[in-house]
Amino acid sequence: MNLAFGLQSVPLPRASQPIIIAVSGLYVAVVAAIAVWAARRTRTSKDFFIAGGGIGVGTLAIAAMAATLSGFAFIGGPGLVYTLGFGALFIVLPASLTNTMCAWVLAKRMRLLGGARGLITVPDAIGARYRSPAAQGLAGLAILVAIVGYMATNILALGLVLDAVFGSGLSLGIWLGAAVVLAYSAAGGMLAGVYTDVFQGAVMAAASVLVFGYALATGGGLGGISTTILAADPGFLGPWGKLTPLAALSFFFVFGLGALGQPHVIHKFYMLKDPLRLKWYPLLMTAALLVTLLLFFGVGVAVKAEVLRGGMAPLARADDATPQFLLRYTPGLLAGIVFAGVSAAIMSTVNSFLSVGAAAITHDIPLALGYRMRNELRWGRISTVGLSLAAAVVAQLSGTLVAFLGIFGWGLFASTLVPSLAIGLNWAGATRAGALASIATGLVTTLAFESAAYFKLYTFPAGVTVSGLSLVLSLLAFFGISALTRHQAGDIDPDVVLVMET
Amino acid sequence: MAARGGLKAVILGTLAVAAAYASAFFPGGAPRWAAWAMGVGIGLLSVGLLALGAARPGRRLGLLWLPLALTFVILVGGFGLALALPGGEGPATRLWLGLPPRAAIILYGIGILPVLVLPLAYALSFRRMTLDAADIERVRAAAAERSQVPGSGGR
Repeated sequence: MNLAFGLQSVPLPRASQPIIIAVSGLYVAVVAAIAVWAARRTRTSKDFFIAGGGIGVGTLAIAAMAATLSGFAFIGGPGLVYTLGFGALFIVLPASLTNTMCAWVLAKRMRLLGGARGLITVPDAIGARYRSPAAQGLAGLAILVAIVGYMATNILALGLVLDAVFGSGLSLGIWLGAAVVLAYSAAGGMLAGVYTDVFQGAVMAAASVLVFGYALATGGGLGGISTTILAADPGFLGPWGKLTPLAALSFFFVFGLGALGQPHVIHKFYMLKDPLRLKWYPLLMTAALLVTLLLFFGVGVAVKAEVLRGGMAPLARADDATPQFLLRYTPGLLAGIVFAGVSAAIMSTVNSFLSVGAAAITHDIPLALGYRMRNELRWGRISTVGLSLAAAVVAQLSGTLVAFLGIFGWGLFASTLVPSLAIGLNWAGATRAGALASIATGLVTTLAFESAAYFKLYTFPAGVTVSGLSLVLSLLAFFGISALTRHQAGDIDPDVVLVMET
Repeated sequence: MAARGGLKAVILGTLAVAAAYASAFFPGGAPRWAAWAMGVGIGLLSVGLLALGAARPGRRLGLLWLPLALTFVILVGGFGLALALPGGEGPATRLWLGLPPRAAIILYGIGILPVLVLPLAYALSFRRMTLDAADIERVRAAAAERSQVPGSGGR
């Protein structure tokens, strides 16, 4: 089993209605206005990579939510619920605890360390924790590998949405989508990214709540939906849906623990102006995330019930669940807002990837090689352009290649960053060798296992998620090698020790 | 003390998840206990990480152990009930808040209940357990002291 299911790679139903085009056009105009505003205020690499370190906790929470959820939450997710039933929810259920976990484990320590050392990237924190440019560079490399594929899949998905709304054709849709994200990312960096994220997050949350209401109304409330489904397909509403218990729980493990290693989300902690405001971060972030995930669940079960009731024909493709529901059961204005919301979700994720990827190229990897870029702002912008072009070209090449590259993302981030960063910042017994071993294990096993599964060289047993297996092997390597090299354990700078003990 | 307990829980949880995955490679596929091991492992890992993150040297968790223990009970109890309760959902199944009982336990228990507990526990214990102005000042002073050391190189 791999995590490729959520990637939007086939055309969406045509949605070229005037109201949808108008709302989508308005959305792009607002994003452009924010980009122009932010570009005028981006003067340093700190502005470009961490929004000048001056955002509030509400902005942080909504921006982190928007970066967490890609188009998968709106298109692939409901389709997955339609296909797998309740088991698909195990991807999003961990949201009830991951944000508080992230706040306790990472937020405070990353923010304090970032402030004390002037850090701008996630691998920076690994380098500081272990006094190891090699660990920083290896983490930067892992992030870069994951990002190119992840971005290509998101750009492809954006192209498909733009094609569905504007009838642009896929190829032009890909270039248009890449150009819009590139324009505001290269000009305004994270400053533009974070404020467009707030706008995009608000659009996503509003769209999700409204569509959830329509989904419940369509099916006669949750009870009505359940009664319809239980009469025809009771396994759909079993606790694991169509999955085995081990497979469903494996999703929970990967998406729960893996949330602590998503660099495009956790690097936003550096941007918070006042660390004391972190007090409300878990509450705000969890509320924003759960509200925005209502659509994921609501549309998936409502469409299933409608199909079973005969109100809709069975879907040719699971990913049609949201577009078909919108076009059939919601007013044009709401459909337009949701299509804009899907674009928003994808763009906010891509923008965050661009920032993190550009930082890996211009900052983390050169530092590991003993070199420091003289003008990180200029090279950050150049790297952003290069990454966007690379992702758009890969997205154009072949659906198969894109799907293959896209499956690495979440799992690679999780297996390379969770042990070394999330646990390492909280456990003085972790050693440099343990961190290097876990990052290398995560990188190699994720690439090898995903390749073997994708090219059908090996079939993993039922219930085994490749990302989960890589994550657990990386954790074992981290603990095992740290134990074997425990004589190195005290090799931590005093200010880092203070942050770890605070 | 709390950090050590949290770390032990994280390591035990990792081993439980590893055992669940390893068992799936046995001939005949994953045995019944694999899902139990995974469920307990997730509970240990989650609560262990929460404790590890919340712990500070020289300070007890105090009342914070209550929400952490409750979270462990919710996770392991919820997964356990879903595994242990008889299945056989059908048209006659009585619904709990619109869902069959086992699905309701998962969605409302594991998906919602921790939201009512953990973020509030974090906020209410923030000044005592997580961060206050004096902590920030100490870190600033340490950073300033480090910057005076020749060759510290900023980062």
